[in-house]
Amino acid sequence: MLLARNLKRIAARSPWLYRINSGSCNGCDVELATTACIPRYDVERLGCQYCGSPRHADIVLITGPLNRHVKDAVLRLWEEIPEPKVTVAVGVCPISGGIFRESYAVCAPVDQYLPVDVNVPGCPPRPQAIIEGVAKAIEIWRARL
Amino acid sequence: MNVLSLLGRNLTQGPYTEPFPFGPAPTAKRFRGRVTFDAATCEGCKICERVCPAGAIRFSKAKDGLAFAVWHNSCVFCGNCEFHCPTGSVHQTTDWHLAHEQARKYAMVEFGLIPNQTCSECGATALATAPSLRGIAPPLSAEEAVTLKSLCPKCRARFLKARRAKP
Ligand code: SF4
Ligand code: SF4
Ligand code: SF4
Repeated sequence: MLLARNLKRIAARSPWLYRINSGSCNGCDVELATTACIPRYDVERLGCQYCGSPRHADIVLITGPLNRHVKDAVLRLWEEIPEPKVTVAVGVCPISGGIFRESYAVCAPVDQYLPVDVNVPGCPPRPQAIIEGVAKAIEIWRARL
Repeated sequence: MNVLSLLGRNLTQGPYTEPFPFGPAPTAKRFRGRVTFDAATCEGCKICERVCPAGAIRFSKAKDGLAFAVWHNSCVFCGNCEFHCPTGSVHQTTDWHLAHEQARKYAMVEFGLIPNQTCSECGATALATAPSLRGIAPPLSAEEAVTLKSLCPKCRARFLKARRAKP
């Protein structure tokens, strides 16, 4: 019992990353793929890895301006991620709408519909900036556990 | 052979991965990052506001002058503002450390103020914008430029007209 409790304290917590594309132009998604798959940046050094299911996720990265078409699907997906989760808005699209701001087809900013914790502005942000944002998100996530 | 040479290179040159965030990241000299504004050299032409495709730049009338603001959470870092600015007052630095917590979302703004001044000629209140010096021949001396800056637009026009009329 004691060992189990100590193990819980000592063990480094490694979050799963999950990516939601809410109608982005793919610029930000390419940068996210770059940070994950290219050895030059390698986000996995921070002890996190992408996963394929929202039910496994701990940190969710949202790209895109939340198109009217995908809004409900995105919100449903986000609901499926178990608490405690940390939401990161990647690119200016989810943060303010960016270049698509005030368009009839987008529902940005995303924080009108779900609580965002970290913003990573850029169009798209460079991989290092995304790594910086993920590092911030991991800090917040560890504090929330 | 190829594998061996790769192995040798890996041993001598170390990993290809950048050390960031545990060390500094290389940044290109002309990287388009955070936007800065220099009120002292701005002409107040508002071209930057007009060409900004994301509507990130706003000029607004303030009690004590003309206020400039650029919100980095809307800016798409396209470089239009810097390209079209005739004086280089708006400039994109290489700073890309813009990731922030939600609480600071609306603090990611670069402000500037072009203050009001009293015209040294007629005493009217006008903006202390930098005068537009392009196309003025012969070029103004440093003293003349200072005098011109201290005038209101009407007196500036009169000053230049008088200067042209001089033999
Ligand atoms: S922030 Fe820019 S690069 Fe990213 S999805 Fe929006 S338009 Fe595309
Ligand atoms: S910053 Fe440049 S483009 Fe913008 S108003 Fe001033 S001089 Fe004009
Ligand atoms: S870089 Fe582009 S989007 Fe950003 S303030 Fe300048 S013109 Fe606007």
